[in-house]
Amino acid sequence: MRTLGERKLLFFFTLICLLLLPVIPGQANAGDPTEQVKQTIEKVREIFKDKNLKKPENREKRDELLREVVGKRLDFEEISKRSLARHWRKLTAEQRKEFVSLFSDLLETTYLNKIERSQEEDIEKHEEDKVLYQGERIEGRYASVKTTIVTYKGTEIPVEYRLIKEDGEWKAYDIVIEGVSLVSNYRSQFNRIIHSESYDELVKKLREKTIKEE
Amino acid sequence: MKKVDLELAVGFFLLLGILSLAYISIKLGRLELIGGGGYPLYAEFTQAGGIKEGSVVEIAGVQIGRVKSVRLSDYEALVEFTINENVKIQEDAIASIKTKGLIGEKFVQISPGASEEMIPPGGKIRDTESAIDIEELLSKYAFGEV
Repeated sequence: MRTLGERKLLFFFTLICLLLLPVIPGQANAGDPTEQVKQTIEKVREIFKDKNLKKPENREKRDELLREVVGKRLDFEEISKRSLARHWRKLTAEQRKEFVSLFSDLLETTYLNKIERSQEEDIEKHEEDKVLYQGERIEGRYASVKTTIVTYKGTEIPVEYRLIKEDGEWKAYDIVIEGVSLVSNYRSQFNRIIHSESYDELVKKLREKTIKEE
Repeated sequence: MKKVDLELAVGFFLLLGILSLAYISIKLGRLELIGGGGYPLYAEFTQAGGIKEGSVVEIAGVQIGRVKSVRLSDYEALVEFTINENVKIQEDAIASIKTKGLIGEKFVQISPGASEEMIPPGGKIRDTESAIDIEELLSKYAFGEV
């Protein structure tokens, strides 16, 4: 038998836990799209600023961290679906799964290689870059967040994130840089390859590309 | 008697000329006398440079409609299209403003999406790509280094 004091303590403890419960996840997906995009961008910038991760031997660890942080904010299935467009409907569930993993690998390696190839000093210079948040628009489960990156040189690059809401999290399904959409770019490329060759050929190409780049 | 025949022939050809002129002006002016088939769709662009009333809307290079109007809404360009009745557009389609050739006229290209949902008449194409300002891009990357 517990004493009354102990019981009261236990009761209060559970009560506090219950009260906190909705607050903690609520903070994690803190409401609006801009806030969530900002969180991810800030996390990425922190990774690049981390002195420890800058060491060449920690490159892989940094890549891993970047992959995790950015991957969480991207909806790879939606990106793949939209990039394949009409051809997506003809695929079986298994093929879709395979394609999503191949395409996300391709995107990851393409961008990580770009970082790999640039000099550490150049990356450091870009720590001075500013990101301006220029408003958001929400329409049902879709939203867009407009930002402008002002580089240390003063060049302005408009970047728009197009987001879809999934379980309270806003996830990007397209990124429009300087007016050029990522999905639209891959959509026309994939369409061309599938038409002139075949879907299998496209998968083969993606596979070769991810292996070669690694 | 012969004179009457001549006048009749002249009158006939004149009438033919007027009719062809009317036909050409309706065709060229893209006048839709019978109201024109098709349903309306909207899209918003941050930069609609070069798109005007009558601009062509294409899918895969095939004309499927025309731009009905371009107006300003919340400092963005709101473009209204008239899309042919028999063409349905997926909810995740992308509307981009493209240029014919390097310096040709501007047109709207729609790339179909994967969604099962179709945009109802009067709906909006959410994803758009605005006209790319080549001059601005050039100046940004060619002269950007200070």
